[in-house]
Amino acid sequence: MASISISASLHRACSSHHPINKQQPQARTARSLGSKLVTHVVTLNVEGQRGVGTAEQQEKPALYTDSPKKSNDQSENGLETEPPVPKFIDERWKKGTWDLNLFVRDGKMDWDGLIEAEAKRRKILELYPDASTNEDPVLFRSSIIPWWAWLKRSYLPEAELLNGRAAMVGFFAAYIVDGLTGVDMVGQTGNFICKAGLFVTVFGIILSRRIEDFKNLRKLVDEATFYDKQWQASWKDQNAPNTGASDKIMNKM
Amino acid sequence: MTSSIAFKSFTGLRHSSLEHPKVLHSHTTSISPLTYRRFRITASKSTPKLQNRNLRVAVIGGGPAGGSAAETLAKGGIETYLIERKMDNCKPCGGAIPLCMVGEFDLPLDIIDRRVTKMKMISPSNVAVDIGQTLKPHEYIGMVRREVLDAYLRERASNNGAKVINGLFLKMDIPKKGSENINGPYVLHYTEYDEKKGAVGEKRTLEVDAVIGADGANSRVAKSIGAGDYDYAIAFQERIKIPNDKMVYYENLAEMYVGDDVSPDFYGWVFPKCDHVAVGTGTVTHKGDIKKFQLATRKRAKDKILGGKIIRVEAHPIPEHPRPRRLLGRVALVGDAAGYVTKCSGEGIYFAAKSGRMCAEAIVEGSENGKRMVDESDLRKYLEKWDKTYWPTYKVLDVLQKVFYRSNPAREAFVEMCADEYVQKMTFDSYLYKRVAPGNPLEDLKLAVNSIGSLVRANALRREMDKISV
Repeated sequence: MASISISASLHRACSSHHPINKQQPQARTARSLGSKLVTHVVTLNVEGQRGVGTAEQQEKPALYTDSPKKSNDQSENGLETEPPVPKFIDERWKKGTWDLNLFVRDGKMDWDGLIEAEAKRRKILELYPDASTNEDPVLFRSSIIPWWAWLKRSYLPEAELLNGRAAMVGFFAAYIVDGLTGVDMVGQTGNFICKAGLFVTVFGIILSRRIEDFKNLRKLVDEATFYDKQWQASWKDQNAPNTGASDKIMNKM
Repeated sequence: MTSSIAFKSFTGLRHSSLEHPKVLHSHTTSISPLTYRRFRITASKSTPKLQNRNLRVAVIGGGPAGGSAAETLAKGGIETYLIERKMDNCKPCGGAIPLCMVGEFDLPLDIIDRRVTKMKMISPSNVAVDIGQTLKPHEYIGMVRREVLDAYLRERASNNGAKVINGLFLKMDIPKKGSENINGPYVLHYTEYDEKKGAVGEKRTLEVDAVIGADGANSRVAKSIGAGDYDYAIAFQERIKIPNDKMVYYENLAEMYVGDDVSPDFYGWVFPKCDHVAVGTGTVTHKGDIKKFQLATRKRAKDKILGGKIIRVEAHPIPEHPRPRRLLGRVALVGDAAGYVTKCSGEGIYFAAKSGRMCAEAIVEGSENGKRMVDESDLRKYLEKWDKTYWPTYKVLDVLQKVFYRSNPAREAFVEMCADEYVQKMTFDSYLYKRVAPGNPLEDLKLAVNSIGSLVRANALRREMDKISV
């Protein structure tokens, strides 16, 4: 259930404003990504990869280091004297975006490879933040990757557990309802109340996957209302206008 | 209501019947105590009439909040004192004001150094998104220097009849509770600095009927009424003079950097100033690391500010939420002293000036243009009105900050979302005009779906990133 709902929203999210989606089947057949000129390049590249066998080589983004020394004492007058730090360099990263032609494998677009490559780029940038420049802006947007490529990524680690739990709850619920009312399994599926019950059960199980989820939910509620409480403090004060109120508030803080 | 306050200074005319339309009006409403609200107005009008003098109000602090409060008070016929310690104080501040402030506060256009029409949001993975494409030709975000803006507002207050005192407020004596001196004066102790006498100040006292505390984050007024503390963010900013050819880029453009490197819970900025840029960052949770974040901000903007010279370094606390108590007796807090800074954008100038004015309006109205004593219920009206008007704005920004400044994937999603024209239009409309315009429900739904999509994608990438070791 969870995966279905996520995928549905993702599909809508991607398809609503990314026309690339519709081009995707074309890419899969290695025909075109935009223009005829590109078509040529695509086939060339695919053949080149196969022929020379450089696919593995291209996979590795290099962590290029200008200078191994890292200094922390640059905080003073360091506008110009900052030493170079590791930089992100990858052959497939061209002019601020991933060259999609280089991700075509066996005539199919390798979205997984693209996701991995982008993850790697972000990771490197997170560890070694780089200056953003106007000369080579980052043009890549993760939204060009179609929704079904992400779907594989949103795998629930406890999926088996949840399925098992839902099945058991469902079985016993059906058994109990049958025992109490005499409505059998087939009859239950036609009953509105039973269907609603099924829905509630499935959502309940998805929401409370683990014990921690309860805590997380409560934390979320606390967090969401914290600011309201901070604002309302001056109104509580009104009800207790004596001088003791201020002390109480001070203690609370 | 505002129209009657907008009358010029009433010195000499105060007790004549010329300025009475509003007073008469409020009197008529008080005759018919139909609702609870009206009943309260009647109650406040029970305060005694002042004999031989007008209401005296002291405004502590001469920033935008103090300046606009003093101006409104003086215009409303109240004997106003404005106490400010440092007349040329340039508070470290982004200095951005929304368009509506120029109109509402009648600011002259020459105090606006720069008109920002382009904003760049830059994500942790250096995706830069231009926002501001939806701005109409006459729309802009004004950049001011605080020393200029503050001095202008103070001067206007002074021209309207407020007495500006160059002094350092020390403490105040609150009138003791008791039936006979319930309307007793507040005695302010301050050190007055006279330009002729030099650095050594002179201890003075001042008796007033009400106090507006507009003295910023480290407010002494707040301390003296036991207003409690608030969490605060520390903002660090360097003013950097960059070569002219680099300055061209920042002509009308401001940059916002987001990312864990720049700030774990806020953003880093490059704002254009009159002839230099301000590069800074802020944080609540990791105040000790602020230098590190500043370095990271500078590094992210490295190529664009290359060859720059730091001309000034500033740091200042920024309140995160209002104080537990913003009002006691006849003392009210406004601006930063009360804690009126939004989350997410960290904007405070407009809200400070606006709260100062609102508070002053409440006093003017409650005192019937300075002729009656005021009490707490009059000041409460300001608080009521304030919370009613601006609470939604504050809450929306708080939610935005919680959702999108949470982690790097969330920030990526945020930047991705900002590329959307509808988002830009809504953001700028609400920023520039300070009203929450009703959106298009269909667009809203689309936006919600898109942002969930962005968040899911960014988080999927995050999980992938966790698997990789570099």
